[in-house]
Amino acid sequence: MSATPKRVIPRLLQMVLVIAGAYFSFILLFDVLLGQLIPKSLLTMYMVFVVAGVVMVFTFTEEGAQELAGPIKALVEDPSRKMVRNVVFVIVPLLAGYYTYSSMLPSFEAPVELRTIHPAPPNKFKAYGKSYNLATLENPYRKFEKEDPAKFKALVKEGGDVYIKNCQYCHGDKLDGKGPYASGLNPTPLNFQDVGTIAQLQESFLFWRIATGGPGLPAEAAPWISSMPVWQEFLTEDEIWKVILFLYNYTGRQPRSWSHE
Amino acid sequence: MANKFALLALCSALFAVGPAMAKPGTAEKGKVIYDMRCTWCHGDEGDGKGAAKDHLNPPPRDFTSGNYKIRTSDFEDLTPNDDDIFRMIRDGMPGTAMPGWSDILTEQDMWDLVAYVKKFASYEKPPAKQVDFGTQISSSAESIEKGKKLFEEGDRCVECHGKSGKGSASKRLKGEAGERTWPRNLTKPWTYRGSAEPKDIFSRISTGIAGTEMPSFADPKSKKKLSIEERWHVANYVASLAQTGQKVSADNTVVKVSKVEGELPSATDDARWEKSEATTFYMVPQIIGKERYFLPSSDTITVRAMYNDKAVAMLLEWDDRTKSTPGDDSAGKLADTPIEQDGVAVQLPVTIPSEMQKPYFGMGDAAHPVNVWHWKSGGKDAPETVGILNSKGFKDIEKREAASAGLTAKSSYSDGTWKVLMVRPLTTASTDKDMQFVEGKFIPVAFAAWDGSNNSEKGSKHTMTTWYWLLLKPATGSKPLVTALVIAALFAGGLLWWARSAGNKAA
Repeated sequence: MSATPKRVIPRLLQMVLVIAGAYFSFILLFDVLLGQLIPKSLLTMYMVFVVAGVVMVFTFTEEGAQELAGPIKALVEDPSRKMVRNVVFVIVPLLAGYYTYSSMLPSFEAPVELRTIHPAPPNKFKAYGKSYNLATLENPYRKFEKEDPAKFKALVKEGGDVYIKNCQYCHGDKLDGKGPYASGLNPTPLNFQDVGTIAQLQESFLFWRIATGGPGLPAEAAPWISSMPVWQEFLTEDEIWKVILFLYNYTGRQPRSWSHE
Repeated sequence: MANKFALLALCSALFAVGPAMAKPGTAEKGKVIYDMRCTWCHGDEGDGKGAAKDHLNPPPRDFTSGNYKIRTSDFEDLTPNDDDIFRMIRDGMPGTAMPGWSDILTEQDMWDLVAYVKKFASYEKPPAKQVDFGTQISSSAESIEKGKKLFEEGDRCVECHGKSGKGSASKRLKGEAGERTWPRNLTKPWTYRGSAEPKDIFSRISTGIAGTEMPSFADPKSKKKLSIEERWHVANYVASLAQTGQKVSADNTVVKVSKVEGELPSATDDARWEKSEATTFYMVPQIIGKERYFLPSSDTITVRAMYNDKAVAMLLEWDDRTKSTPGDDSAGKLADTPIEQDGVAVQLPVTIPSEMQKPYFGMGDAAHPVNVWHWKSGGKDAPETVGILNSKGFKDIEKREAASAGLTAKSSYSDGTWKVLMVRPLTTASTDKDMQFVEGKFIPVAFAAWDGSNNSEKGSKHTMTTWYWLLLKPATGSKPLVTALVIAALFAGGLLWWARSAGNKAA
């Protein structure tokens, strides 16, 4: 490894390939696998970091830097490459001009909006005309899971009926956030099957989110665009707790609780 | 060549048989899955009387009726193939609440469900006869032309689906349980329940749709009977009706308002609209506040817009099978009484937000009021109207005259489609009450529609969109070109200087 071997792929080309690889991986990951188009501004930000990182790695040693710069220097200084140089010298300014022109044209690309999906809950909140303390609030029916499984099953069934009558339009029959009206909403409804949603939350958090709905969100979660109804206007406290039992039961997840942590 | 064909035939046979290699399912295992996943809509007894039954259109299938809408058995034999049921479970039914289950159920699970579900109607034997597909006639201009003729001849399909295929209502249709049903809007193939492949369309035409008024056109007793060949032509024609321009594209969230020289279009059928860029949004029923609206009849709205140095013109287009004209007897008969006016609305913030915070998307909020331009279709003896609402939430609404802001609207209705043209000056006299349009700024915009024939008598019973964007795109001007030239010249100069200094060094 001491003598620099003749590389199959020149180092400069390697670097370009790595950067291009990262670029297309982002597009593959977001646009194809996740099915959500990556906003241009976000992609630009990511690529700035990628390019900076790759350049740092490739120029980490003096040798590496020289090997990288070699072909470029040769292009400018080596008289035998005059023809290639002339071509490059025409193409580069044209590309720079084209990029400037296209980025200055007025565009219709929508601005990116970032919001917090699971905002920090308040200590206390008001619903049903009273105040709840989120730290001590518990699902009154959870205990029956161990104490009286038959009763628990019946409660889950009641919760399921509430869910199907009220929630499935958006959150879906499969609780995957893909109900019949989900695609018309932005932000899209939460997917309860996902390990990153209700499995990471306490039941009291769910109760707060359901009872006060979109308008009950703090500002960082953009309450003005959430389509979540204020469920205290439609459901009783009991119904909300039963729906919560159903959400965990159907997805096979367990709520987080203080006692387990 | 013959070999090639044999290979091709074998491959396509394998492909076609895919789901047909039915693994025998076990009804007992199916019941366990059914009770966990399906009972909520279809009911414990399979009778479609789950908790959601009154809030879904179409209602959940009643398996005890024995009617399966999407099947490939002969028209005279209501027994579905196992495959038909399997496909519905695996792929779901687009445009309904029935999702595809292949992501959380295994193939065996789904075959078990097939076995269980069939028992509700005591289907034990497979159907004796299948749909006869003959030889498929692939689509061509000629075939489509023949199909169109057959589609229209003697009102064969037009009777219910309308001349445009949009299913604009000419009579009330009923399902097996007495529920109101609507003919498919054939221009939106992504809402076909059983796929829009010509072969599937051929099946629907041949078997009819059990439990609805869609008859079999393979039935020799039918006056409207079609031969196999004719059915392929009609299938090709129906497939050609797709209006892909009306399909929602998820990354297209901006109403693109381009600047025009001279006058704005003053009619809904101005030829310039055809050339302007359209954006289509999903509309969902209002199920967020009281009174909730569960059985909507419109699903998308298509918006086009232009502006000049004086005003903005917006063309709103949406499908509505019923032109609701209060006072008109024939319209009244088609309506789910009492008939009301149709309507459409555009919602804009009174002040264009400079930060991320917008007004609450449902009629604004106390700190962030919205303008709502509300058009109503009028009645038999009443003209169409347009008004402005200044709203701070649905409980705090001030009604204003459209004239106060110079807002005008005019409409046209044709064969299942409303078009409404709204025009408003860029700026108005009351800057504190009306949004003032600004070039180059992203303006939040939302839409809503009312169908006066479909239970929309209450203000809250409408379909709506969430916030999207509207942008008045400034004319390009010469600045980008000049800057680009300067940058290109700088680059060229820099490179030349570099080459030169390198050349000097070498010398």
